[in-house]
Amino acid sequence: MIEDDEILQMYIEESLEHLSDIESDLLTIEGDGENIDIDIVNNVFRAAHSIKGGAGFMGLTTIKGLAHSLENVLDLIRNKELVPTPNRISVLLKGFDKLENLMNDIQTSNEEDVSEYILALANITKSSLSEEKQDTVTTILDLTLADGRVFPAVSQYSIEQAKDDGRYIYLVEYDLIKDIQRKSRNPIELLESLEKTGTIIDSRIDFNSVGTLNDGLMSTRIPFQILFSSILEPDMATTLFDLEEDYIHVVTDEMLSISNTTINIDTVPAMPSRDVEVESIVKTQVVEKTSTKQQVNEFDVKNAAIQTKVPSKKADASSNVIASSENEAAAPSQHKTTPKVDFDVQQTPTIKAKPAVTIHKKQEIASDNDINDNINANESDSGNAMNMSKPMGSLRVNVNLLDTLMNLAGELVLSRNQLIQGINSSNAKATELSSQRIDMITSELQEAIMRTRMQPIANVFNKFTRVVRDLSQELGKSIDLIIEGKEVELDKTIIEAINDPLTHLIRNSVDHGIELPNIREAAGKKATGKIVLKAFHDAGQVNIMISDDGKGLDPDKIAAVAVKKGLMSEQQVSELSAKERIDLILLPGFSTAEKVTDVSGRGVGMDVVVTNLAKLGGIIEIESKTGRGTDIQIKLPLTLAIIPSQIISVGNEKYAIPQVNLDELLRIPASQVKERIEKVGDADVVRLRGNLLPLLNLAQVLGIKKTFVHPDDGIEYPDQRQSIADRRSNKTDQNGKRESVNTTVAYERTGTDRRYRAASAINIAVVSAGTHKYGLVVDELKDSEEIVVKPLGRHLKKCSGYAGATIMGDGKVALILDVSNLAQMAELTTMAEAERTAKAARAAEEAREKARDKASLLLFKNGPEHCAAPLNLVERIERIPVSSIENVSGKKVVQYRGGALPLYELSQVANVSKLPQTEQQEIIVFTVKGRELGLMVTPPVDAVEISLDIDDSTLKQTGINGSMIIDGHTTLLVDIFDVVKNLNPSWFEDEKLAAAEMEEAGQKVILFAEDSAFFRNQVKGFMTDEGYSVITAEDGEIAWNLLKERHNEVDLVVTDLEMPNMDGFELTSRIKKDPVLSHFKVIALTSLASDAHVKRGKEVGIDEYEIKLDRENLMKLIRRYMNL
Amino acid sequence: MASKTVTNTGTTVENNTELATFYVGKALCGIDILSIQEINKHFEVTTVPQSPDYVVGVLNLRGRIVTILDLGKKLGLSEIEKDKRNRNIIVRSQDEHIGLMVDAISDVVTAEKDKIEPAPSNISGLKGRFFKGVMKTKTSLIGILDIEEVLKD
Repeated sequence: MIEDDEILQMYIEESLEHLSDIESDLLTIEGDGENIDIDIVNNVFRAAHSIKGGAGFMGLTTIKGLAHSLENVLDLIRNKELVPTPNRISVLLKGFDKLENLMNDIQTSNEEDVSEYILALANITKSSLSEEKQDTVTTILDLTLADGRVFPAVSQYSIEQAKDDGRYIYLVEYDLIKDIQRKSRNPIELLESLEKTGTIIDSRIDFNSVGTLNDGLMSTRIPFQILFSSILEPDMATTLFDLEEDYIHVVTDEMLSISNTTINIDTVPAMPSRDVEVESIVKTQVVEKTSTKQQVNEFDVKNAAIQTKVPSKKADASSNVIASSENEAAAPSQHKTTPKVDFDVQQTPTIKAKPAVTIHKKQEIASDNDINDNINANESDSGNAMNMSKPMGSLRVNVNLLDTLMNLAGELVLSRNQLIQGINSSNAKATELSSQRIDMITSELQEAIMRTRMQPIANVFNKFTRVVRDLSQELGKSIDLIIEGKEVELDKTIIEAINDPLTHLIRNSVDHGIELPNIREAAGKKATGKIVLKAFHDAGQVNIMISDDGKGLDPDKIAAVAVKKGLMSEQQVSELSAKERIDLILLPGFSTAEKVTDVSGRGVGMDVVVTNLAKLGGIIEIESKTGRGTDIQIKLPLTLAIIPSQIISVGNEKYAIPQVNLDELLRIPASQVKERIEKVGDADVVRLRGNLLPLLNLAQVLGIKKTFVHPDDGIEYPDQRQSIADRRSNKTDQNGKRESVNTTVAYERTGTDRRYRAASAINIAVVSAGTHKYGLVVDELKDSEEIVVKPLGRHLKKCSGYAGATIMGDGKVALILDVSNLAQMAELTTMAEAERTAKAARAAEEAREKARDKASLLLFKNGPEHCAAPLNLVERIERIPVSSIENVSGKKVVQYRGGALPLYELSQVANVSKLPQTEQQEIIVFTVKGRELGLMVTPPVDAVEISLDIDDSTLKQTGINGSMIIDGHTTLLVDIFDVVKNLNPSWFEDEKLAAAEMEEAGQKVILFAEDSAFFRNQVKGFMTDEGYSVITAEDGEIAWNLLKERHNEVDLVVTDLEMPNMDGFELTSRIKKDPVLSHFKVIALTSLASDAHVKRGKEVGIDEYEIKLDRENLMKLIRRYMNL
Repeated sequence: MASKTVTNTGTTVENNTELATFYVGKALCGIDILSIQEINKHFEVTTVPQSPDYVVGVLNLRGRIVTILDLGKKLGLSEIEKDKRNRNIIVRSQDEHIGLMVDAISDVVTAEKDKIEPAPSNISGLKGRFFKGVMKTKTSLIGILDIEEVLKD
């Protein structure tokens, strides 16, 4: 084998490049079926061909043999003599896979056994040929030159093919030294240029004729022999090959003789392993031990290229062996027709060494499928050894990019010169300018260098076509894989690292996601499933989406599994939303596969995917609709080498938190620490926008001794705080000198809550990693910087809290925190508990919130006071110039839409401030009793939807219902009716009359159920004002019992909807179902009537809806239902 | 750093190794000078919380992150006493630079291979397995450290 590293490396790289495209091409060919696209087939053919050509030169006999067999099959496909069926393509794919494996492990490639692949391919070739030609596939010819030299082992098939096409066959001998090296040519280029005028059948270096140092005949030539077929005639050959006539031999039939060797043993180049087999047989069974062994040894010593005679002798030797063992092997040979024996033939080494003829016959019986199986079995054995040694990677860089880099480097040098000059001449301005330039160039340089590392994601994506194809075939599913965004680029390291997680996800989609065709059809979907793999840029990150239209994830099933596996309790699971349940599959120890398949349920769960992605700074999100499919979204950073991060400090050291993990920064002023930080169980939690967030004290987790600089003497002392919320400690367990200091400090602080300094505010970095979100308590929050990630040494590998280190501007090293590992170090249990407690607290709060009545209020001010009024009474809000307000007989009015709008201010009825004098006046227009009136107010005017929690005693007065706290202000609730009643009693005379009338006719009784005391009193007031008698109930249950007892008295039921114990819906439903009570009309009062509410209400039999504070409409409605 | 001692012995150079010697506690140790990258006295290390106790911290050595180990502790003795004579010996091991903090640097001596004896089980309180051998000079006994063994974690 040639050991020229440079050429070999080039060959490997080129070959791998060829191979990388082949897979998708082959799959396309498979998809096209009989209507092949000749260009694509040619692509693959050429790839196999050039690999073969190079391998011949390099002495890579195994690769050459395999590539040659592949080429034969492809040639048949190209000539439309063979239809590319899926089975045949499978054989080709496996062959190319093996070829790639061999390439990756080139040093040992000659020792690999590829005979099964070659056999499989040879059988395909044979199957398409006519009877008489079939033998040519496996027949090997030796080519003897005029001077007696032999060019051995040429496939008769290739020669016959060339002859059939009417081509001339030449054996050309280039001299590696004279013709190639001295002319500064490269053997691979030479092969490529020859390819333009004909076909290279075979090539090798004839080491035989070089001679050795010992025999003294050392020739000055190293012949590089190429067997070449071309339509060009012999007289043009010298020009074509650029060689002297002596070295060009036209091959005639006389020169060819059938070799003793046959394909199965000898085009599969001899391999040491096989020699050993032969040897061992020889040892045990044959008398001519010594001679055979000698031959074998001799063979081992010589280069692989000199196979001239040895193989035939070896075959002789082994046929002797077999002859003697033939009888013993009689039993299996009787079963020749069964495929099982066939399998045996391939597996047992003894029979493998049999003369090829026997094997042929057996092989012919084997169908393509069997061959596939055999290869499969073989692959799994050798799979692990494949990736052992890889050649050092190299990268192709766009020339333009390289030019940019050169330019930048040039500029950098210039700027450096300027900087040095500036410094030398102490020219501050020049220094500053050049430092600015260097800053700019550095950024550009950084970006350009990063671009050289960028690779299209297609490198990973393309593999999945094959993965999906193989897997779906295996599982009997039909799946289309649609790949989008192949051109999206990512850093090389990320590209390499996402391969495994993506493979896992894709396999999951195929195995668990997409259903079997019949199930799909039964579910009304297309039989062929669809998986979309898509990459796109978004917000400076690369997003990868894997969507399938399969059966989706079942949240309840997942939850059940989580409970069964003891990952969560039933109680905990019941509190989760559907999305949260789906996210449970990301937990360690979770795997939904009911039976473990070798496809995706390999005991490795999604948690590994999550961890692997987290290592890359990536996150994963799952969305799934049961029966409709699953979308998995992965977000990845563009690069890992340089990352934006937040610098924080604890003690004297700085640390970096990657920006991807950072949600927000939080600073809790000292004065709020006590109320915002609480202790739940063992964990500290902080109140953040109504949610509870667990806190981790970085110093505690890392075990850093906390210190603080005493404000009085500037000396560092150990921090005494015991917990975050505890502002001070009363324990002093320090010793010696410090104790005295501490005791004095402790003494000073005997009072309560005196240490309210701005300096003791708490800084929190809110971070999230995977499913965890928590607050990291740190001493100081510093700048945000772009940092260069550097790995930590091996002695620090066990410190899992760090993701690496970086060098700060001052030259010191700062550690980069690994947010997810920190959470783990801090014992997830307490964290999880805190999270759960927080969640429970949140849920309880939400429930309370829900139970309370919500209402839309209009907020406004009356001078300094904050006021509110029910929004549904408001007609409009206007702003008018003060000059347009007229004073008519002690009343203020304004000309408005052709009429006079009376204007009032709150201070006319209630004991509140007078409005300040302004040029513009805001007016809220209300409609009461069908008449409009304007209330003069002070801006801002704003509408809110809020839970009513009204205090109806403290600030209640005329025109004011009560008060409540809105946005931290005590807000007065204005009772517009009361205001109007006081200002314009005449508007309400009708009611008085009606009430009086009712008194005479006998009072009507209303049963009114309402849980809020405020509304109860309020609405009851409306009703009694009009003369009704009201029975109140605090909830539905009380109302129900009252109604049962006193149904003879009650005329009408008015109920709130949301109430504890029994809500309005339930109450109504019971009334309407009860035979005695079903005649009662029910009016529901609600603060917010949503469509869903109305619908549900109609279903249970609610007769009418009314808004709570809309007094007028409510009264109208009651009158209507009372038939008054 | 001490100047190199000139060798005038008749043996070939290949046979001799130059040892940089230094003190760890009271023990005089030596390392093949060719395995040393540099010797410096940078002590502005960043401490790494939660690291093994023998790790002093990490150091920025011209853009490379170097882990500094307290050689005293690593070898199972007491901590290196911090004073002005402390030095970091930066060695290369398994594609990584590692700093060994020692008490003080001594001379560079030439070790003749045939004068090196196998290490006893204990040299001034240090375990024998850390040493490739010992060499006696007129005045002292130098324990030749097996760097890979020392750096095992």
